[in-house]
Amino acid sequence: MDYSREERAIIWLCACSGRDYRACAAALREVRDPGLLSEAFTTRAEKELGEFLAALDRRGYFALTVVSDDYPESLRAIPDPPLLLFGAGNRALLGKRKFCVVGSRITPPWAERLGRDIAAELSSEFVIVTGLAEGGDCAAVAGAMESGNLICVLPCGLDKCYPAAHESLKRRIRERGLLLSEYLPSENAAKYSFHARNRLLAGLSEGVLVLSAGERSGALITADRAAEYGRDVFAFPYNPNAAQGAGCNDLLKRGAYVTTCVGDVFACYGIAPKPKKRVELTPEEERLLAILREKGEMHAAELAAAAGMKVHEAAAALSSLEIKDLAVKSGGNRYAAI
Amino acid sequence: MIAKVICYALNGLEGIPVEVETDVNKGIPGYEMVGLPDAAVKESKERVRSALKNSGLLFPVNKITVNFAPADVKKEGAAFDLAVAVSLLKASEQLIGVELGRTVFLGELALNGDVRPVNGMLPILISAKAHGFSRFVIPRGNAEEAKYLGGAEIFPVRNLTEVIRHLTGTQPVLPLETARFVPHARGKGSADLKYVKGQPIARRALEIAVAGGHNLLLSGPPGTGKTMLARCLPTVMPDLTFEEALEITEIHSVAGTLGEEGIVSERPFRTPHHTATTVSMCGGGNRTVHPGEISLAHGGVLFLDELPEYKRSTLEALRQPLEDGKITVSRSAGTVTYPARFMLCASMNPCPCGNYGSADRTCSCSPAEIRRYRRKISGPLLDRIDLQVEVDNIAYDDLASPGEQESSEAVKERVNAARRIQRNRFEGTGLNTNAEMGERELQTFCVLSPDGEKILREAFERMKLSARARSRIVKVARTIADLDASEQILPRHVFEAVSYRLYDKMG
Repeated sequence: MDYSREERAIIWLCACSGRDYRACAAALREVRDPGLLSEAFTTRAEKELGEFLAALDRRGYFALTVVSDDYPESLRAIPDPPLLLFGAGNRALLGKRKFCVVGSRITPPWAERLGRDIAAELSSEFVIVTGLAEGGDCAAVAGAMESGNLICVLPCGLDKCYPAAHESLKRRIRERGLLLSEYLPSENAAKYSFHARNRLLAGLSEGVLVLSAGERSGALITADRAAEYGRDVFAFPYNPNAAQGAGCNDLLKRGAYVTTCVGDVFACYGIAPKPKKRVELTPEEERLLAILREKGEMHAAELAAAAGMKVHEAAAALSSLEIKDLAVKSGGNRYAAI
Repeated sequence: MIAKVICYALNGLEGIPVEVETDVNKGIPGYEMVGLPDAAVKESKERVRSALKNSGLLFPVNKITVNFAPADVKKEGAAFDLAVAVSLLKASEQLIGVELGRTVFLGELALNGDVRPVNGMLPILISAKAHGFSRFVIPRGNAEEAKYLGGAEIFPVRNLTEVIRHLTGTQPVLPLETARFVPHARGKGSADLKYVKGQPIARRALEIAVAGGHNLLLSGPPGTGKTMLARCLPTVMPDLTFEEALEITEIHSVAGTLGEEGIVSERPFRTPHHTATTVSMCGGGNRTVHPGEISLAHGGVLFLDELPEYKRSTLEALRQPLEDGKITVSRSAGTVTYPARFMLCASMNPCPCGNYGSADRTCSCSPAEIRRYRRKISGPLLDRIDLQVEVDNIAYDDLASPGEQESSEAVKERVNAARRIQRNRFEGTGLNTNAEMGERELQTFCVLSPDGEKILREAFERMKLSARARSRIVKVARTIADLDASEQILPRHVFEAVSYRLYDKMG
């Protein structure tokens, strides 16, 4: 891949010179035109840079610098934009509208299911930006995977995978969507890199939807950054006593948009939601669904009692609702409407 | 003079006739045993000698040779003592004029001449009867199990003196009267579904599992009553028939676990601990091949509490018997086949900390930990468990629970009705329950309406179920329809069946 004079200068500065971010940023501010830097390259520096770029090409990665044409404007607007990013996959996604969907690793089944569906619908208008962790992030990935409008930002180098169990998921994302990382390909994830990564999630996107967040969840950091950068923050509402949603409720208190369906996000951006497909239901299913919608998460036996049905009849109707994507089982024989 | 007496050796549940030949010759006094006897049989030498002396009989001071024929069958145990003693008496001309040819002698001797009970009495009697023997002299202590064998003269004896008096006709022993088999002869156990509070979903799953012979997995936090539910399984199973009881008793007789009762009149409920080895589970042993837990559970329930704690190899070994209903154990001593048609009921926690899905406690496990925990149970094994339900710890006091819970007796009623439908359906096919159906039977007996077929296809696409899961679901749906007394499998039956595939849905 060909890189311009300026790009080469920045790649060398960030990747080969051994300077840290602050030093690189300071150096760049000083020279103003990075192209001048590359003219001062020694032959050794030229060789180093050549080898590094050849290695990137061999792996099929590309380097994206802060001066590249397709460097997202939204990211450039944050106080500490990464000078250099590495990517693998569909580079064209960088130019599209982006929206971030994240959630903590412990996400209740209903939120995963709803998050997945919302991500799927959002991905018709936006590129979904998210991480690669279990739970909320995975739900977003699963939703957006089909359309391919998906950017995953890794907390480690592109060669690595965190969590390691998601290696095959990462490969699929590379085929259909785009992987981004601000670390050298061989770098491992470190404690601080998750926070740094979260600023990129927020920086890339017009808005952030938080599916679930405990009191100290990393998803809150993404939301905080988004608020700092002037992006919209959306969150699922939770029961007051649900530990998995304490962070979400906190966001809502601080002014995040209450989100229960994709229309809530679309409305904020003036996009008309697509009409929902009508699903045919039996009278029993209607009755159960109405109760579930009214009372929230319920045990199957309580539900059956409320609907005046036998428990096994209710179980059959509930599993039909589950197949029709209208209810979800959330452990301990409890069900919730979605 | 040579004397011949019939005794029996056991290979698995199969009795093998052994002729005990004794020859008393002139010569230097000696006592020799030949014909592949093992240590316990050889030791009978000394027991027989003392028993004869202490019963006031004569031990010949001659050259004695005892031969066990056929010589190529390994003989084990102490059941030969009585036969050796009787043949010795006959050979030393102390039982003149007594015809022994068609009588089988079984029993171990004590030094004072008492006859002690032996293990495996019932299978020996059944085999011997099939071989055409109809007169048996057996220890009094085995009378309880022997009395269920009809069509044979069985003489229970206490000691050697009684045997001699009986044989010479001075004081004949009365033959055993054949007993009639009564299920639950010892009265019902304490387990009953009416003591299980709440758990409507698990109760229903229990009923379906028993009605169709399906295996069952109960998943739930600790202390929610999984074990209690499992203990209720035998109470809702159909009563044992005499043939079944006899078959089960044979196995327990060989294992020596038969109680006072003599015959197993209640379905077994076996709960091997999770430290159980593969051998103790499937059967085996050093010299003799003992039946394992799965054979002892034949006709009843094998309950594996905390399934993921069992050794993986032990669990994998269950797969083949679960399909075949029998186990063939090969050892250097020989190959033995034991029946092992049992209902598997397993329980597990939903996650390592046990609180996943709990109403009042939070689970502290990460999703990866939970997945790892569940992965301890292999897919193929899980695939053989048709019903997987959650047992939850909801506080049932909050629910207005109306009166007392349904009793096992009422559930059993419905189970019996469903079993009757299945018996009619499978007449002539050699199958008994829905769970035993193969692909071919599924296509004949489990035709879905076009409506139901469409729903099922939709369900499979949405839930990404495997083809194997499909046939399991159809089988369970068939059982639910049977409980409903419905000829056709209706959509609601399919939906309910789908709701019992917990782990397919979790992926």
